[in-house]
Amino acid sequence: MRRRRNKTADEAEVDMTPMLDIVFIMLIFFIVTATFLDERGVDLTQPPPPPDDDTPQNPKPAITVYVDNQSICSVDSNQTECDRVSLAVERLLADKPGANIILRVNESARHGMLVTLKDEFDQKGLGSKIEIVKNNT
Amino acid sequence: MARRSRTLIEDEDAELNMTPMLDVVFILLIFFIVTSVFVKTPGIDPVKPDAVTAKDWDPGILIAVNAQNEVWIDKRPYEIDEIRPLITAMRDENPKAQAILIGDKEADVGTVMAVQELMQDLNIATRVSTQ
Repeated sequence: MRRRRNKTADEAEVDMTPMLDIVFIMLIFFIVTATFLDERGVDLTQPPPPPDDDTPQNPKPAITVYVDNQSICSVDSNQTECDRVSLAVERLLADKPGANIILRVNESARHGMLVTLKDEFDQKGLGSKIEIVKNNT
Repeated sequence: MARRSRTLIEDEDAELNMTPMLDVVFILLIFFIVTSVFVKTPGIDPVKPDAVTAKDWDPGILIAVNAQNEVWIDKRPYEIDEIRPLITAMRDENPKAQAILIGDKEADVGTVMAVQELMQDLNIATRVSTQ
């Protein structure tokens, strides 16, 4: 009887301090190293290029949007203001229903321009294909 | 009399109940362990382009391109033709990782898309970061 009482008294006096120290150190470590990422992104993944010998039977009409190395936009060779490109493309799409949109961008153009144009086409539900034009070719 | 009250105070100190605090500390600890992601941040913060159609993306590999067309990985700048072995190593460490490509608005399309092509070549799902 007496022994049991002794034992419970022992358990009540377990010294928590070292464990608490370690737990606090771990807590502080995880707070300091925590990086909260909140990233949003657009998909610029390109479909793989078709094999060279594969020529489509009925080539669909295409609308070419070109952005040159000064980030000046043109739609089917007509120079257009860059924020009016999607309007111009929509107008041309009315004439050529189902046309492919090809977004040809010079490699020295600004990255922001490509994302803006791609985003505008995505907003209107128009699929577009990105082509990078190298300066030396 | 004075002596008795002092012993009383000492007794109260010794019996301070730590259990609720311990509970809270443990919950915090577990929260931080679970949410911690050990990703190698690029170390720079480029001005990202705006986009409306952007979707949330949970990356394990971060690559940044600044306005001077330097590619930053894990707080170091690299040239575009140096990064392939680095990214291959990062992919092998964590084969399921998705990547995000943080390109500056003013960076060249050629540089950003060259990295994007490289990621596609290595079969890593990649998105281009926007605001």
